[in-house]
Amino acid sequence: MSAQLEVQGLVRTFDGVRAVDEATLDVQAGSITGLIGPNGAGKSTLFNCVSGFLRPQSGRVTLDGKRIDRRAPHRIARAGLVRTFQTPRTLARMTVLENVAVAAPRPRNAEARAAKLLELVRLGEHADALAGTLSGGQRKLLDLVRALMVGPRVLLLDEPMAGVSPTLRVELLDHILAVRERDGVTLLIVEHDLDFVMRASDRVIVMNEGRVIAQGTPDQVRTDERVVDAYLGARHE
Amino acid sequence: MFWQLLANGLVTGSVIAIAAVGVSLVYGILRLVNFAYGDYMAFGALAAYELNGPLGLGIVVSVLFAMVATAVLSVALDLALWRPLRRRRAGFMSLFLASIGLALVLRQALLLAYGPQPRTYTVDPYKVYVVGSVRLSEAQFVTIVVAAVAIVFVGVLLSRSTVGRTMRALADDGALAGIAGVNVGRVIAYTWIVSGLLAGLAGVLAALIQTSFNPNFGFQLLLPVFAGVVLGGVGSAYGALAGGLVLGVAMELSTWPALWGGGVDPVYKPVVAFVVLIAALMVRPQGLFGRARFV
Amino acid sequence: MSALASGDFWAFVGVVAGIYTILALGLQLQFGFAGLLNFGQVAFMAIGAYTMAILVVKEGWSTWLAAPLGVLVAGAAGLLLGLPALRLRSDYFAIVTIAFSEIVRYVATNQGSLTGGSQGTIALGKVGEAAQYNGEWERFQERVQDWLGIASKDVAMLLIVWAAALVLLTLVWLAVRTPWGRVLRAIREDEDAAASLGKNVFAYKLQVLAIGSALAGVAGCFYAWQFSFFSPDDFQPLLTFFAWMIVILGGLGRVWTVPVGAAVFGFLFAGTRFLDFRPLSYLSGADRAYLRLVVIGLVIIVLVLVRPQGLLGKRDEMVLE
Repeated sequence: MSAQLEVQGLVRTFDGVRAVDEATLDVQAGSITGLIGPNGAGKSTLFNCVSGFLRPQSGRVTLDGKRIDRRAPHRIARAGLVRTFQTPRTLARMTVLENVAVAAPRPRNAEARAAKLLELVRLGEHADALAGTLSGGQRKLLDLVRALMVGPRVLLLDEPMAGVSPTLRVELLDHILAVRERDGVTLLIVEHDLDFVMRASDRVIVMNEGRVIAQGTPDQVRTDERVVDAYLGARHE
Repeated sequence: MFWQLLANGLVTGSVIAIAAVGVSLVYGILRLVNFAYGDYMAFGALAAYELNGPLGLGIVVSVLFAMVATAVLSVALDLALWRPLRRRRAGFMSLFLASIGLALVLRQALLLAYGPQPRTYTVDPYKVYVVGSVRLSEAQFVTIVVAAVAIVFVGVLLSRSTVGRTMRALADDGALAGIAGVNVGRVIAYTWIVSGLLAGLAGVLAALIQTSFNPNFGFQLLLPVFAGVVLGGVGSAYGALAGGLVLGVAMELSTWPALWGGGVDPVYKPVVAFVVLIAALMVRPQGLFGRARFV
Repeated sequence: MSALASGDFWAFVGVVAGIYTILALGLQLQFGFAGLLNFGQVAFMAIGAYTMAILVVKEGWSTWLAAPLGVLVAGAAGLLLGLPALRLRSDYFAIVTIAFSEIVRYVATNQGSLTGGSQGTIALGKVGEAAQYNGEWERFQERVQDWLGIASKDVAMLLIVWAAALVLLTLVWLAVRTPWGRVLRAIREDEDAAASLGKNVFAYKLQVLAIGSALAGVAGCFYAWQFSFFSPDDFQPLLTFFAWMIVILGGLGRVWTVPVGAAVFGFLFAGTRFLDFRPLSYLSGADRAYLRLVVIGLVIIVLVLVRPQGLLGKRDEMVLE
């Protein structure tokens, strides 16, 4: 399998501090890759750079061999890389259905397709409710569905489990796995819930202080000394 | 010619700067863009006139009176309008609309009371201070001196005094400051007082250097003032100072005949202020001292 | 009090309300639907009016060609303004639009050879001649009067303006129900989310700015025809603020509340004319004009305090944004 998403030597500084420091990683097509690291490791900044919301000072990002760094976020989305945000970006004053329908790249039959997607994740009954009335976990789900509506080849999920209740987490995990199975979408997921990451990911990338310090299977990463050090003695089971 | 224009620019600029600090403080601490601020200034100018004109008191006394009167107005309006709006958790749009309504009320009330005819302060128009190749009228001289004192005072107030520091704390993070034991109500009162004092001062000084003024001049002043705030970087009081000064100097220097094209027609000076602002924002969207915004 | 009964007066109020409806409709599209803080709407009104008047008087164009071109130029001005300005943060964008508005007024006042300067459109023609751009329009108005059998000019104008307003309202209403309109609302809710979904936010904003300013241009032409003469002072920022009031008081993001807001506003504005009972009748006419605006200002303030969502809007849109 070839690397679908490649990041090479990415650098992003804020006020002279390197939030991302020559980060290099790759994501295989059709895989679920977890991106972990302690707070401040630069994961979100990396996401922002890859998806075009921040301009890196240097480095390259390629999607299916084509460079996407330094492109505007909407063009990267159209190129096939879609991201979600840490805090749900619900379009609160629009209905749930409209939230998903608006994401369609082509307007034809958008509402019908949106309704089907909502049914898949069991949000169908809320279709006509204002999206602002949904619970936190439901909003996360809505974000996921909305991102799928765009028809991405690669999906970047930024802490999909954050703020979601434990019961809903299981459901969310199922939906995410189904996305890979059913739609063949490649997933790169930033998560603090290590349990989820270890269970769901084919590969795990670990960042610390802006650099990628380890890449490998969950088992490899779990026992990697550098990773253990990075988490300051946190124990993995 | 150049030095004369530069001096004129500093005079204009310091007036804009003082008002800009007042606007910036209110925005930084209360998140309120006060469109009625120009009319606070007009109020101050007229209050000074009351003493200086009909009553014939000296300009200094009149200025002090104007500052106090405008501060009182400022606090009164907070109690009557802004505080009830805060209690109702009014959003940006409501506050904006309310300040427009207030601007209308204030300006038209002033027009009602004073009429639209222009007024002048009794200042000796022939007295000239000569410094090198620069000639300053009494009005300009008074303005520069007073403005310099005021700017230093405000600078010290913001950086050294407890009042100043609590104000800046509140501007940086309101919720945190509240938890840290800062008396929010008192800081808000101080903000309006300082902002009102500055508005009164700026209003009188602006009227002074304009030689004649009417109650309508508040809004015309407001635009360069807002431009100064934005140029300096929204939320930064020091930035507002710098922005006001830069704009004032730019406005005056733009009329310099030695410039390419023979200099700008003085009528277009306010336009220059805007052009400078827009150009600066294109280069540095956060303003001179503002914080860069990232997603 | 006889003025109160005069049909012509209320027809006049209705015309003004119709003009404001079109002006505010443009703003509603820009802010209510796309979240753009355009504080320079009156400038585009001026551009539309002046372009039309200049083409008729100086170039001898027919009104029926000059007016559409005026609207197009107003729209183009919006486009040109948007190209650099829309890249800025929203509050900076607001300031730039105010600046633009003042620049337009300044140019109109000082470029006498182009615009007639502070004297207004009378000075558009040759020196010593009072220029008129309204000839063709007045003939059209008379034909409408004959056709409908109405005696009053004002009533005829009222019908024409509101016919135009209704057409425009319907077009905008239809447009926002399309997928295009849905993207606009998404942009208003959360620009970054819209961008992350592949929407070219900048392009949409540009389109909306241009369409909204074209609508202002239409309002400008009607203004010009109604008053048959205008000067730069007719296009004060106050008019932009009135348009904002109408949009906010009527309720954001809804097309059909705009005419309601404009009608209420027109009523309010005209109604304050009738403060000529004692002791207010002791005030001079000019003073009463000031008092009227004080009352309007107070009404705005009270409305904001008591009903921040406007007359027909939803509360959570206005409170704690």
